[in-house]
Amino acid sequence: MDGSVKVTGTPALELRSVHRVYGFGPSATNALDDVDLTVPSGRFVSLIGPSGCGKSTLLRLVAGLERPDRGEVRVHGVPPAQACAAKMIGLVPQSPALLPWLSVLRNVTLPQKINKGSGKRRERITGFAEHESAQSAPAAPSAPTAPDMRELLVKAGLGEAMHKLPAQISGGMRQRAAIVRAFGLRPDVLVMDEPFSALDEFTRESLQDQLLDLWDELKTTVLFVTHSVSEAVRLSDTVVVMAPHPGRIVDVIDVDLPRPRGDRLFGERRFHEYEDLIRDRLRRAWHGEAA
Amino acid sequence: MTVTDERATMAAENEQPVEPSRFSLRHPQSRVAWIRPSVWAPLLVMTVFLAVLWQWAARELPYLLPPLPKIGSSLTSQFGYYVDNALVTVGEAAGGLAIGFVAAFVLAVLTSELPFLRRAVMPIAVVLNVTPLVAIAPALVVAFGFGPLPKLVIAGLICFFPILINTAAGLGSVPREVLQVYRTMDAGRFELLWHVRIPNALPFLFAALRIVFPLSIVGAVVAEMSASGSTHGLGTAISTASSMNQLPIVYASILVLAVMGVLLLLAVTLVERRVLHWHDSAHN
Repeated sequence: MDGSVKVTGTPALELRSVHRVYGFGPSATNALDDVDLTVPSGRFVSLIGPSGCGKSTLLRLVAGLERPDRGEVRVHGVPPAQACAAKMIGLVPQSPALLPWLSVLRNVTLPQKINKGSGKRRERITGFAEHESAQSAPAAPSAPTAPDMRELLVKAGLGEAMHKLPAQISGGMRQRAAIVRAFGLRPDVLVMDEPFSALDEFTRESLQDQLLDLWDELKTTVLFVTHSVSEAVRLSDTVVVMAPHPGRIVDVIDVDLPRPRGDRLFGERRFHEYEDLIRDRLRRAWHGEAA
Repeated sequence: MTVTDERATMAAENEQPVEPSRFSLRHPQSRVAWIRPSVWAPLLVMTVFLAVLWQWAARELPYLLPPLPKIGSSLTSQFGYYVDNALVTVGEAAGGLAIGFVAAFVLAVLTSELPFLRRAVMPIAVVLNVTPLVAIAPALVVAFGFGPLPKLVIAGLICFFPILINTAAGLGSVPREVLQVYRTMDAGRFELLWHVRIPNALPFLFAALRIVFPLSIVGAVVAEMSASGSTHGLGTAISTASSMNQLPIVYASILVLAVMGVLLLLAVTLVERRVLHWHDSAHN
């Protein structure tokens, strides 16, 4: 999966023979062993695999929170640190990580006050990358203007909660606020680390729908870590299956299902076939390792 | 004196959803509650009991305690004397508090940003904290004389450590994931400090202030008592009066000190409620 990418210019994400080792000597663990991955702009990509397969490590490398021991990570053609400096990366961690003393609205607008020099840096990078999605999104701005956060909050169903404190709203609403905060950056790459894992199933499904709505509108590249097979199929264009010991990519499966994906689709056979396929790959990776 | 108030440590992981009604109702409720006898009666009974005990002790052992009416009359007849001395002591305490606060806060910020400074300063601060201040006070009087300076220094020193430790703990206790979110935006040190670390430290800071406000008076009084040549302040009034066996003046001064302590605590609490309206501790 490398040659086909060139059509759209610089890929949103590019990992080339990335190694990441934790610890030293005999107790060292290979979190990522020779990982290659290319993600074209505008794709929704899920990373799935059992714990210890390095999916969170991969995500932290992309978000610039860690550096690879060997190999290269590129976000729109530049190292993650530069992409962060240009505010091109939005992070949604496992917990909402809101500031408890700020209202929801002020929580999601704070990023606009931070790192104000990022605009110019971003123009330079995205200028090189000529990042333009194949879809003719109506005048997708290369140096995005600050979106109206109130509007975005209303869209995410947080209109009523806008002026409340994080402690005054439910866990699902807090996670939604965290997603809005990340989308508010108009990130070129949105990295999400199991953002729904702490929520109950009903909340999770409605948040998945809302995430897709927002993504549909803002069309950013998404890197989504999950350990739920159905979540991965539901959301993604591409599912990356990973395996542990050492952490590696064992399969890349394109999910060719129409969008928008509604409840009807999730009952259909082709949806379940994708689920079965991914489960099978996960199982095979597991057994292959045991053998 | 590691003042990691459990309420403050909860600040970081305040994850429980709280029904909004709690925020709007809590205050009126707690005010209304004082009307009910079950709330104020125990305190009243206890106070009366202690007063009776005091009066009995004062009659049986006149050198132990002065009778309450004598304390009262001393207070009313020499009201200006007590006010003047109280103002002197409060001035010393407040001045020392201000000095200690600024020094400790600045140092806490610096040590949280510069690890090598933390390693250099913190052990010394701990040693300073376990050294009894009463023992240092006379030496400081020798060094700085009988004026206000040694009092400011001692009051400042006594306030310094709790503020330093708590503020440093608060600055350092921002949840990892919050830091990661702002790190991916490449937030600058100052931005992180101003928008995230300092607000995060406020509950810890206030936990320290609740201890340190009354403590600053202790510092001022200790300093006054150590400087035998002092002419003003409630500490001086107490040591002078007790050397002349004037128990009513001693206890009237002590009473004034206690009231001052309560007022200071009340002041901190009021400010805390305003500043930390978002935090659990402001609603208890």
